[in-house]
Amino acid sequence: MTLLELKNVSVSYGRIEAIHDMSFAVDEGEIVSLIGANGAGKSTTMKTISGLLNPRSGSITFDGEDITKMKAHIRVVKGISQAPEGRGVFPGMTVLENLDMGTFGLKDRSGVKAGFDRVFSLFPRLAERKSQVGGTMSGGEQQMLAIGRALMAQPRLLLLDEPSMGLAPQFIRQIFSIITEINQQGTTILLVEQNANQALTRANRGFVLETGSITHSGTGKELLANPAIKEAYLGVG
Amino acid sequence: MSTTDGPTLIPDAKAEQDAITRESNRTTRGGFFAPLADRWNRLSRPQQWAFLLVVVVIAYALPVLNPPLITSEPGNDWPITCLQMAIFALVAVGLNVVVGYAGLLDLGYVAFFAVGSYTAAMFTSPDSPYLHIPYLWTLPVAMAVAMFFGVLLGVPTLRLRGDYLAIVTLGFGEIVRILATIIPAMKGQVGFQNVGHPPGTAADGHPIFSNSNGTPWYWLTITVLIVILLLAGNLERSRVGRAWVAIREDEDAAEIMGVPTFKYKVWAFAIGAGIGGLSGALSAGATGFINNQKFDVQTSILFLAAVVLGGSGNKVGAILGGAVVAYLPLRFTAIADYKYLIFGVVLVVLMIFRAKGLLPARQRLLAYGKVAYARVAARSRAGSPTAATKTEGTAK
Repeated sequence: MTLLELKNVSVSYGRIEAIHDMSFAVDEGEIVSLIGANGAGKSTTMKTISGLLNPRSGSITFDGEDITKMKAHIRVVKGISQAPEGRGVFPGMTVLENLDMGTFGLKDRSGVKAGFDRVFSLFPRLAERKSQVGGTMSGGEQQMLAIGRALMAQPRLLLLDEPSMGLAPQFIRQIFSIITEINQQGTTILLVEQNANQALTRANRGFVLETGSITHSGTGKELLANPAIKEAYLGVG
Repeated sequence: MSTTDGPTLIPDAKAEQDAITRESNRTTRGGFFAPLADRWNRLSRPQQWAFLLVVVVIAYALPVLNPPLITSEPGNDWPITCLQMAIFALVAVGLNVVVGYAGLLDLGYVAFFAVGSYTAAMFTSPDSPYLHIPYLWTLPVAMAVAMFFGVLLGVPTLRLRGDYLAIVTLGFGEIVRILATIIPAMKGQVGFQNVGHPPGTAADGHPIFSNSNGTPWYWLTITVLIVILLLAGNLERSRVGRAWVAIREDEDAAEIMGVPTFKYKVWAFAIGAGIGGLSGALSAGATGFINNQKFDVQTSILFLAAVVLGGSGNKVGAILGGAVVAYLPLRFTAIADYKYLIFGVVLVVLMIFRAKGLLPARQRLLAYGKVAYARVAARSRAGSPTAATKTEGTAK
């Protein structure tokens, strides 16, 4: 079943078009990866889906409902949650406070306790650092916190914007295995990455973005095997 | 550590352990007042209330006590100095909601103070041809009118951020001042005489709330201040307060956590404006006269200096900052002419040595209350290093 669908979406910053006529869909239960180089429009796509940017044309539907004009904070209530690029944790709040902010949009608070347990079992490191201030944590821990906070909103669709950015290789593997685990628990995941190898290995399907348009699409395996993509994104050729 | 760290080398086990131990000790902000804050947080609730009661009693007794050395006499009347301090403290508490809690830089806050002053004057002064109401009624009315102006300014401008918002508010402050000059009904430099006062006549036939006697006005002002503090404290701990902190720290992140940022920013603006209007009305009543001269940009900057000096985001700090900014020029009359120079130097020095103000803000654990926070903090201090080593093993 299609959970999220973008149809002919274009987004501009002033006169500069960052995304041109983009269409793709994410099915419920999938991991979908968007890969591309710097400036390809990956983060713009994410911000457009989460509602921080408005498309100039085209439409976005989520779970059969048109959300093109919906405000970002209402999309959270509908079930779209984002771990933003550059992690975006609240630097002056503790781990617990950060996680609690994730529940801000929840009307039914009965699942909050279970949400904390889920996040702490996925990221035991966070459980040890409940009272540490977000801004003093290492990059990897902030990334865990950002993903954990996004999960606290009990999303149906989790948007991950470059979860591996700036992390040590050991952390990258760990983060990706946790992403797979979150997906197996029933959350649909849309991921944008520069780390094409990990992103495509883990994904059901993938799309390649170049200067604001999708140039290749297919299953993760197909894209990994595609010689053009190998050369451009995997550093082999 | 910054949020934009690049990749780091994989540390060896010992360095990793050191880092964990170091980072799991909650960073206490150092400096002169830090131990005080710690000591305060360790007190039980009843002890804190008892201590507050003493502070409140001293605050009420202040104009009568007239303590030597501290007193501003003979240069300035001491009760009136106290009153000025209380009004500045109230203004700072209001501006602190906007600047400290929600992180919106407002350089035209004096506009709301002016709106409150003019509301009180135009409803009570015999110079005003309009409807007259008892003075005490003008306090809620001034608050409501100022809140209305807060929303009026906020709705079109709060989509702007940071510097852009600051410029617009700066302009708004000037607009209000200039309107007071050019609108005939607001009487420009002539102004309004004999602004009203609360009822009551003393034994000698003079009104209790006379313009020459600061003490009753001071008592009225700090009573209002205490009420506002209780309300602000409740807001701070509520869902609204959490939303403000989130907006201040990262507006985009707040929005995608489901915080309707625009709505909460307008609320911060309106509540801040309301408190500004209230202090304006009190000031107009106490002085008995207003015209267009007091509401200039310098006054806005002075208000902002009070908040920053005290510790942006901390209401106790705001009171301290407001009181200090009002007190110094009245106490040291010789330096009054140089007050902006001196405040400038003080702020520069303060920003170097104590960038978060005299009493820095540290929001409590917003969702769980103090007790839970203390428990978690204690547990993480005691248990963290060993627990961390365990998962360190499993993580690899």
